Amino acid sequence: MTTTTSANPELRKRVQKLRSLPSSPAVLLPLIDLLRRPPDEIELSQVVQLVSYEKTIAAQLLRIANSPLYARARPAESIQSAIFTLGIQRIEDILLANCVGNLVPQDKWVINPTIFWRHSFGCALVCREFAERIEFYDPDKAYLAGLLHDLGIIVNSLAYTEEYRAVLAAAAQDGRPLDEQEKETLGFTHCESGVILGQTWQLPDAVCEVIEWHHDIEHAPSGNPLIAITHLGDLLCRARGLGYGYDEWRAIDLAADPAWTDLSRHCPKLGSIDLARFTLDLDACIVRVTGMVDTIFSPH
Amino acid sequence: MATETQSLAASPPKDADERDPVYLKIRDLVYQACGIYHSEEKLYLLAGACKRRMVHTKVKDPRQYLDFITKPSTRALELRELLNEITIGETCLFRSQPQLNSLQNVILPELIATRGKIGLRKLRIWSAGCSTGEEPHTLSMFLLEQSEKLLKGWNFEISATDLNDRSIETAKAGLYGPYALRNTTDLYKRKYFNSAEGDKLQVKDEVRAHITFSRLNLTDDTKMLFMKGMDLIFCCNVLIYFDIASKRKVVQHFFSGLQAPGYFFLGHAESLYQVSDQFRLVHLPGTTTYLKAVPGSEGARKP
Repeated sequence: MTTTTSANPELRKRVQKLRSLPSSPAVLLPLIDLLRRPPDEIELSQVVQLVSYEKTIAAQLLRIANSPLYARARPAESIQSAIFTLGIQRIEDILLANCVGNLVPQDKWVINPTIFWRHSFGCALVCREFAERIEFYDPDKAYLAGLLHDLGIIVNSLAYTEEYRAVLAAAAQDGRPLDEQEKETLGFTHCESGVILGQTWQLPDAVCEVIEWHHDIEHAPSGNPLIAITHLGDLLCRARGLGYGYDEWRAIDLAADPAWTDLSRHCPKLGSIDLARFTLDLDACIVRVTGMVDTIFSPH
Repeated sequence: MATETQSLAASPPKDADERDPVYLKIRDLVYQACGIYHSEEKLYLLAGACKRRMVHTKVKDPRQYLDFITKPSTRALELRELLNEITIGETCLFRSQPQLNSLQNVILPELIATRGKIGLRKLRIWSAGCSTGEEPHTLSMFLLEQSEKLLKGWNFEISATDLNDRSIETAKAGLYGPYALRNTTDLYKRKYFNSAEGDKLQVKDEVRAHITFSRLNLTDDTKMLFMKGMDLIFCCNVLIYFDIASKRKVVQHFFSGLQAPGYFFLGHAESLYQVSDQFRLVHLPGTTTYLKAVPGSEGARKP
């Protein structure tokens, strides 16, 4: 892989030296393994095992399963019944938000964690819906890619907390894309810092490529349609209110984007997609994601 | 995912009947025939409109209503009635704040830059199917509000047209009650309205001075040819009443009526899918619009 980070050894050093970035949380790799598989191939016992990794998770799952959102007739009292109520997908989402989110101490979150997870889960859902619509062969992988594409924002928050606060404030002030502001102020983007963490954690190569290239389609390696899917899903989320907590003032012509051209080579179905209808359908996804993330992060 | 979709999807309460899959069929029928689309979270609105029509037509359940609306003898008329129900109450002043925000932050700066370059300092806007004038009055007030900032030294004129004479007369009067004014802020009310009879407010002359109201049939090809040199065209919830052939023809007129780059705004849930491939769908924060791009510039606007 030709990484831009090799051209930025200073950054690599700074990220790798980070004491607050531990090696991947124990639960992460088995969890990612689950996320990559279609739900009907997953066994309940595997999920129960993952949930038991951490004590606080079980309590949190029960709290969410018993929230008004799920309107159960009788309260869920066991992990199993919580899993049945929430569904495997939701359990995986909550686990991931926990094990990645817990890496960041409260005072280091530069971006509001609720906003970050709304964007990440929103992008995951949009990428999967989009992948299904255009008949991409592995929609679950698109979900994973969407979920993890902005890992670099976490790295930047940890490694450059104060500078990064200024970056986010400046981007919000001018309503401009975050990666542009990062490049201007820090000299690198969350793509470059994110991929270092992705590689350290030994995330799948395809996902690392998404993390590294989703804002730089023109230089992205060819042959990985996940990059284009995530790039477009990311743009759609940011245009529909699931961005970084502010509006970006620009008109986005998705069909004129290089990612669109690239993707249409892999997925011919893209040419006939009804984008206006898809956009309206996404608004329903967004309601779902907002509800879910807000429940995960609601005060205990 | 299916169960959580049901329990999480809609913010407004749902009864069991609204989950009836028949509404999905009616939704698709309405979309194919009229181009207005109800996503999952808006399905309750469609179901509500259907129910009101079911009471009116004395049809007992959604399934029978689907038959009623597909039967050749009743189809055309009933579709029209259903559309009336769907769009009822949609008109008010300042209906779409995301649209106005995008005008202010993206579209006007672009128009000022491109038109200013060729020495034109006047914007031409067309509100097609303006009904009782809520849209043109909103635009006029909004642009007046920009005239000290963005639009300093610029002028603008709004052509507001409708097929219905009575709507035009009402529009000209510029009188609005609390329901039509529910989205209008106090700042706008104070600045651009006078008090009128009862709890109504009347739009001030300076707002109306920028608007020309006239009767126009959008399918009248000869008259449509005169509508040229527009910078922005708004046509909300009007095309939904046209069949696909008329829709294509009207949209073609809109396309030639616009200067490039120029923008064409439809109603929130409307789409030009399979109606026009000349316009480009663009996304703006919280809204979408159709762009007539400068020829050869496709791909130039890289996000």
